[in-house]
Amino acid sequence: MPSILSLIQNENMKIYRRIGTWFMIGLLALSTLAGALIIKATYKEPKNWKAEVASEIKEMEAQLSEEKVPKMYKNHLEQQLKINEYRLEHNIKPVASNTFWGYLVDSADIIALITLFTIIVAAGSVASEFSWGTIKLLLIRPASRTKILLSKYIAALLFALCMLLLLFVFSAVIAAVVFGIENIREPYLAYQNGTVVEKNMLLYVMQVYALNCVDLVMMTTFAFMISAVFRNHSLAIGLATFALFVGPQITALLAMKFDWAKYLLFANTNLAQYIDGTPLVEGMTMPFSMMMLLVYFVIFNALTWFIFRKRDIAA
Amino acid sequence: MNPLLQLKNVRKDIGKKTIIHDLSLEVFPGEVFGFLGPNGAGKTTTIRMIVGLMGITSGEVLINGISIQKDFEKAIQHVGAIVENPEMYKFLTGYQNLLHYARMTKGVTKERINEVVKLVGLEKRIHDKVKTYSLGMRQRLGLAQALLHRPSLLILDEPTNGLDPAGIREIRDYLRKLAKEEGLGIIVSSHLLSEMEMMCDRFAIIQHGRLVGIESVQELSKQAQKVLLTVEPVEQALTVIKNIYPHMNITPAKQGIEVSIDYKEIPSLNAALVSENIKVYGIQVLTKSLEERFLEMTGGNEIA
Repeated sequence: MPSILSLIQNENMKIYRRIGTWFMIGLLALSTLAGALIIKATYKEPKNWKAEVASEIKEMEAQLSEEKVPKMYKNHLEQQLKINEYRLEHNIKPVASNTFWGYLVDSADIIALITLFTIIVAAGSVASEFSWGTIKLLLIRPASRTKILLSKYIAALLFALCMLLLLFVFSAVIAAVVFGIENIREPYLAYQNGTVVEKNMLLYVMQVYALNCVDLVMMTTFAFMISAVFRNHSLAIGLATFALFVGPQITALLAMKFDWAKYLLFANTNLAQYIDGTPLVEGMTMPFSMMMLLVYFVIFNALTWFIFRKRDIAA
Repeated sequence: MNPLLQLKNVRKDIGKKTIIHDLSLEVFPGEVFGFLGPNGAGKTTTIRMIVGLMGITSGEVLINGISIQKDFEKAIQHVGAIVENPEMYKFLTGYQNLLHYARMTKGVTKERINEVVKLVGLEKRIHDKVKTYSLGMRQRLGLAQALLHRPSLLILDEPTNGLDPAGIREIRDYLRKLAKEEGLGIIVSSHLLSEMEMMCDRFAIIQHGRLVGIESVQELSKQAQKVLLTVEPVEQALTVIKNIYPHMNITPAKQGIEVSIDYKEIPSLNAALVSENIKVYGIQVLTKSLEERFLEMTGGNEIA
């Protein structure tokens, strides 16, 4: 009986021996470069950041003095206010897009592209075996279907991890070259237990990356499920990308009218809403969202596993 | 001898339709066993159930006495198979394809891969991408992946499809050798009846999901023989034969006279004809072909 490691090795071979995969990696590098160049060309440095921060503070104070401010939003404003005051006191510039760290934070937006690529890889790893007809020779080996499915899932997530590392490295190198590294010692300001604290910027970037990966993992799992259930590559890619790009909008619209929208997947994928923003539906908390994500995660995986294990391989 | 493969009342329902009805058969080590049947008879479905690609509604499939449903991983490790066409990863080379399958079974070394490559005659092209292969070469690669882990039961769906006559002969001889010398049990399905006749020891005829019969090729050749006599003049010869063998089944054919006669009687019949001054140009023994037997058993359905 083969070990799960050799099965993963097989799946990796099938991912990286294809030109499409390298095309994706090239596209990722290109997007990172293009992003930096566009910011370099279009970003306008504020003449006096202190004046700008001061005016922001005034605006916030005005908003806070209004009567009907929702509690969640009020908290958020107060935190931002404190952080801005700290900046002026300690002479710490806000992180701008045209700096090393600013670009690394912005590069997290490119994770949407990685999500798309991982969806393509994950959907393909099951559906393609069916369309190529290779599924028959794959499943008549002394490896249970559960093991084979698991190896494919792990290989897809490893691909995502690999792409994330590449994105980070690409972004860091490009940001260093394009924007320079003179601000590399800049701290990240966070609000903790009533006070503003200085934190490591690298940890903050990693946190931003991690938060952006929630979508990635959930959509990859979703695409994997569609692919195993319908054995159709295009359908899996189509449904997952459609959900990825349209899901949050529809959820936001529903959340304005209905309370139950908080149980929808996309109401919970954006965990950043609890850190520096306001929750979609009042009363939602980080543990609630994590619980919901776990429930969806288990449902997706259980369905995939159940159907793949039972299926008759015909045609 | 313990059977390598046992099918016990195997039944497959899809929806409300029964595709395979209570099929039972056994395959022993050292024999080549053929699956014959018209299109849609259930040959491929049966093969898929044997290798665990399809579930079994009721009944049991045992490989080396191990149930394929209950202990898949253990039962399948001694099976090598090609199911329908040998579909491979086209973007990988032949060698990478074999490496892929080698990793899925314990104990397949690099040396074994090279050995199998040599065996199927693909040394020159094994490091080329599979998309550049001809159907015959893919068939050889398919055979290679089935043999990698030295299985004791080999299941081949149309193994000679796409091969040229020399390749067919080569594969046929090789399969016979595997069965005879290494004691493998081999199941082949083919629609080329004459080829099956040359390759198989026994074969099962399946029709409408039912086992019509299991025949051995040896028995087939022992069945009542017909002899074709090429003689002149025909009329006179007919009278002579009727005089000696009044109860014989005689049919005048285009090329001469066809008679049903015991093998041992042929020389005396010949002597009788010669003594009556009839010119005997040829005596040809007609064995019943697999095709005739097949058509007889399946009621003349078209063979695909």
